[in-house]
Amino acid sequence: MNDIESNFNNIIKVKSLGKKFGDLEAVKNISFEVKEGEIFGFLGPNGAGKTTTINMLCTMLKPNHGTASINGYSILTSSNEVRKSIGIIFQENTLDEKLTANENLSLHCRFYRIPKKERENRIKEVLDIVELGDKRYKIVETFSGGMKRRLEIARGLLHYPKVLFLDEPTIGLDPQTRAHVWEYILKLKEKAGITMFLTTHYIDEAEICNRVAIIDYGQLIALDSPDELKSKIGGDIVEIITSDNEAAKKEIETKYNKEVTENHKVISFKVDKGNRFLISFIKEFQTPIKSINLRRPTLNDAFLKLTGRQIREEEASTRDLMKKRMQMHRRR
Amino acid sequence: MEEIFALCQRDILRFFRDRARLLSSFAMPFLFLIIFGSGMSGAMSSMFRGGSDYSSLADFNYMKFMFPGIIGMVVFTTSIFSALSVIQDREFGYLREILVSPVKRSSIAIGKVLGGTTIAVIQGLLMFVFVPFTGLKINLSILIKLIPAMFLVAFTLSSVGLLIASLLKTTTGFQMVIQIFIFPMLFLSGAFFPINGLPVWMNFLVIINPLTYSIDMFKKIILETDKLNPVLKQAMGLNLTLFGHQITIFNEILFILILSIIFVTLATIKFSHNN
Repeated sequence: MNDIESNFNNIIKVKSLGKKFGDLEAVKNISFEVKEGEIFGFLGPNGAGKTTTINMLCTMLKPNHGTASINGYSILTSSNEVRKSIGIIFQENTLDEKLTANENLSLHCRFYRIPKKERENRIKEVLDIVELGDKRYKIVETFSGGMKRRLEIARGLLHYPKVLFLDEPTIGLDPQTRAHVWEYILKLKEKAGITMFLTTHYIDEAEICNRVAIIDYGQLIALDSPDELKSKIGGDIVEIITSDNEAAKKEIETKYNKEVTENHKVISFKVDKGNRFLISFIKEFQTPIKSINLRRPTLNDAFLKLTGRQIREEEASTRDLMKKRMQMHRRR
Repeated sequence: MEEIFALCQRDILRFFRDRARLLSSFAMPFLFLIIFGSGMSGAMSSMFRGGSDYSSLADFNYMKFMFPGIIGMVVFTTSIFSALSVIQDREFGYLREILVSPVKRSSIAIGKVLGGTTIAVIQGLLMFVFVPFTGLKINLSILIKLIPAMFLVAFTLSSVGLLIASLLKTTTGFQMVIQIFIFPMLFLSGAFFPINGLPVWMNFLVIINPLTYSIDMFKKIILETDKLNPVLKQAMGLNLTLFGHQITIFNEILFILILSIIFVTLATIKFSHNN
């Protein structure tokens, strides 16, 4: 009891949680806390253990060791209370597409035992938030991908959850729709003030979070606000493309004593006060430069520094495509 | 209760929305009853007339005989195949929405079974559009007796279906089991031919087949067998006996009730355990 009271503001508490699938340790002994009302992000490449962690927190999967509590209820012993306290937007579509938006929502109301007289108001309310009020009596099958996502968000909010889990909420959506879905999520946060726990492998989405946990190979390797994570890198990042990258790398290492990394023929290194550095650098550099770029560090750089590799968005996106295709195939 | 009812209602809603499925559900019964039944009825009647007591067997009508079997066929197949919706819900993701809600696992299982049961009863009732072709006279009291009987049988078979679906988890595996077990059981239930004078091995299979007793129950209700001429009744194989004991409709109800309790328990346990 004491434990719960002392951490009153932490709505999610995770203690040395772990999950094994056969030989594979999907989640290795992770611990963290999520404050009430914050947007908490789980950032990591595909297969890092994000969804496994969410599934354990949502009581869909039993952990092999450790425990967690949500809204003061243990995921091990009070799974029913936990389920009442959370809303979940899964990675894949979980709407009944043969039914109308209204039918999907009213079924949800009944599963969560929302009193009959409140249902009408709540359905209207959540449909307004995602701006689908005019589609209420349309069959979900006819909706676009973005509309389905929005309807799922609306459904996840119906029972006024304390925590909303969003597992890759914008996966498989085009960039415009992604931006749109984010608008709603942020609006939601302002309006309802609920805690949001989201996973993503998109760097720009993680930037929106109040705090980000970086997870890789099932381990939590950093947890801080995006700004703090980036400031740990310090300074600015110079990116150059040259006609002879090998020579250029050697030159930078010997002349400026900087650590260089090369990725897709782009050499990058970190400097302090990049704007001044750049002037002398261009004058003095021997190897012919094809292009040069100076930028602030991103979360991707933080991830790179912490793990020694990139999140590799391009690989992730082809995987998304495959995932989507498989879903379409299954749906046929 | 509310959530059980909600799950059940969802399945019924989906059933009525699927026009193709609704229409195709008439195809098989039509084929069996109208095409096969009409074709066979001439041959059947002349065979019966060849018997000793010409006058009492003269009004044997194969279509009439077959109708309770068709009702049985529809109720069996609909209720058992209704469990496919659990597999589909898993494939299409909706099962997760249900599983992550505070609804108890056992309530989900019962809701699914009841959904399948209701659809099967509705389907069975829809078959009464074929009654004019059979020459049967159906009155309200027959329907009032038949609906609970269909419900009981459909409930049992839906539970069997859910059990199979929970054990197999794939559509193809499910369909294979149905082909191997359920269709032979249907043919060995007396749905399509009178069960008398059968070879010993076949008689054995008929007697151990639970569907036999369901079909016999439907026959007793729809054909009003207690009002039939005893000779005709015997010729139609309606005097089902077990170890010299004449099976009554109450025996059958009790037997199916016990089966339903066993299967719904097994299915609920297996389903809850899986998820």
